[in-house]
Amino acid sequence: MPKGMFVDTTICIGCKACQVACKQWNVLPGEPADFRTDPAEKIPVAVNFTGDSYDNTADLTGTNWRRVRFIEQFPENRVGGRWLISSDSCKHCNDAGCLNACPTGALVRTDLGNVALRQDVCIGCKYCLPSCPFGVVAFSHQTGTARKCTLCDERIHNGLGTACAKACPTGSIAYGEVADLKKKADARLSKLKSLGHEKANIYGYKEAGGLNVFYLFDDRPSVYGQPEKPDVPQGRLVVSSAVTVAGAIAVGVAAIVAFRERGQSGNEGEEVEK
Amino acid sequence: MSPVAHAPGWEWFYIGLYFFFGGVSAGAYIIGTLAEFFGGGRHRGISRTAFYIAFPTLLLTPPLLVGDLGQPLRFWHLLFDARSGFPYLNLSSPLSVGSWALVLYGAMAFLSFMDNLVAEGKLDFAPFARAYVRVPRKVFAAVGSAAGFFIAGYTGVLLNVTSRPLWALTDPFVGALFVASAGSTGAAAIYLVMKWRRIHPRPELEEFERFERIVKILEIALAVAIVIGAGKFAGVLFRGPYAVMFWVGAILLGTLVPLASNWYAYRSGRHLRSEPVAVLMAYLVLLGGLLLRISLLQAGQL
Repeated sequence: MPKGMFVDTTICIGCKACQVACKQWNVLPGEPADFRTDPAEKIPVAVNFTGDSYDNTADLTGTNWRRVRFIEQFPENRVGGRWLISSDSCKHCNDAGCLNACPTGALVRTDLGNVALRQDVCIGCKYCLPSCPFGVVAFSHQTGTARKCTLCDERIHNGLGTACAKACPTGSIAYGEVADLKKKADARLSKLKSLGHEKANIYGYKEAGGLNVFYLFDDRPSVYGQPEKPDVPQGRLVVSSAVTVAGAIAVGVAAIVAFRERGQSGNEGEEVEK
Repeated sequence: MSPVAHAPGWEWFYIGLYFFFGGVSAGAYIIGTLAEFFGGGRHRGISRTAFYIAFPTLLLTPPLLVGDLGQPLRFWHLLFDARSGFPYLNLSSPLSVGSWALVLYGAMAFLSFMDNLVAEGKLDFAPFARAYVRVPRKVFAAVGSAAGFFIAGYTGVLLNVTSRPLWALTDPFVGALFVASAGSTGAAAIYLVMKWRRIHPRPELEEFERFERIVKILEIALAVAIVIGAGKFAGVLFRGPYAVMFWVGAILLGTLVPLASNWYAYRSGRHLRSEPVAVLMAYLVLLGGLLLRISLLQAGQL
């Protein structure tokens, strides 16, 4: 039975305990210091500080497998605004672009449905990076491999939940059987709808073949920085290959027309124009 | 297509050059094979030169491919499962299938290269000389050409089958464009090496030009499809250094100028360009093919 997580963003308080727990359990170092010199400034300026609300994680990277996003929705007059806070990580898709793209078998789906990335197998070809429509997988220059959340592979195979879910103080991140979590999510969604949250929606039932880590959002997915219609790129593989084969046939025919044997070298220039 | 998909960070001097050299090698091999199969023995000069180009050019590519890996010493995981040691193939990954195609193509290009050396008497290698009959040579060439078409095109499919906006939106045309570009750069390389080997290519020049006319028109059509397909993400092809590479390098100098020169000579009834012009145009075609690969690779990662 697949295991997963249900992330109820409506009760997230943005404490980042999940980020800390993730770093601690997975022994992830701090993001490499990135001080660059802005020509306009006399002193080096740290580019890690984003100036984007409380978010200085900025992106999922080789050392940040979890990122709490802060979305501030405030009108000009500061009346009636709200915060949207969402803890983001790998979604462990049932149709995973990264897994489809991996040429070495470093990315594997385990018996519990999570997509793990075996660090001793990965060669660092980086093809999984553009193949993930959610922008999850990232390259680590420290290890020379791609890295991402594994759904705490070794914890869940030993009867523990994920580190982030364990640390979450509000229950926003819940770990368990995907089927049970869906029941919980549906109940929570109908409750929110009854309270007047018209735009509330669950993200992850249909996307990418179903996400084992799915979300309850209070607004459209794009507001939370998630693609509205995540495209698993390998769905286009057959058509793309077919058009390339057609191009290859065209080039082959051009070569045959141009270099074929001719009876005599007279007016052959005209007869190829067809 | 997804605006949030990560860029892989592939370097132009590794992957861009690999796309180019792989295309030149495969394009030359395919033209050499087809000229030999359909040219009725008149084109021995073309096919011999093509097989002399294909293998040495291909030898440049493994260091480029391995050099871009984060763990270069594990490159063999591309072919063999790291735990069991059995051959590994992932059919949904162009990179995995391409690795095997590269092995197959490399083997055939090597055999054709050796066959050339034996046939021209430059290598006296008894086991090979005994096997030197027409039938196996044609088998290498046929299998190698099929694998060569794959090598020429899969690099474009590999870019198209991702979620990066520019690459995803230009799907499914980049693979076909790279095949056409492999054809024109392969032909240009054969022509230049024939000049260099002092095999007088004058009778064949008209055939190279006829091939160029067809393939360059195909390239223009595919480039138009790509710019239209890119839609609102085409902006990266209109700004910055990669825009100059794409429009001035790949399209203007690499495609329109050679085609115009070709067409002018053809229309004016001379059928042929003067040889210095033909040599200059061959260099421009090669430059354009290189800049096409680099600009599409790098613009997709901006």
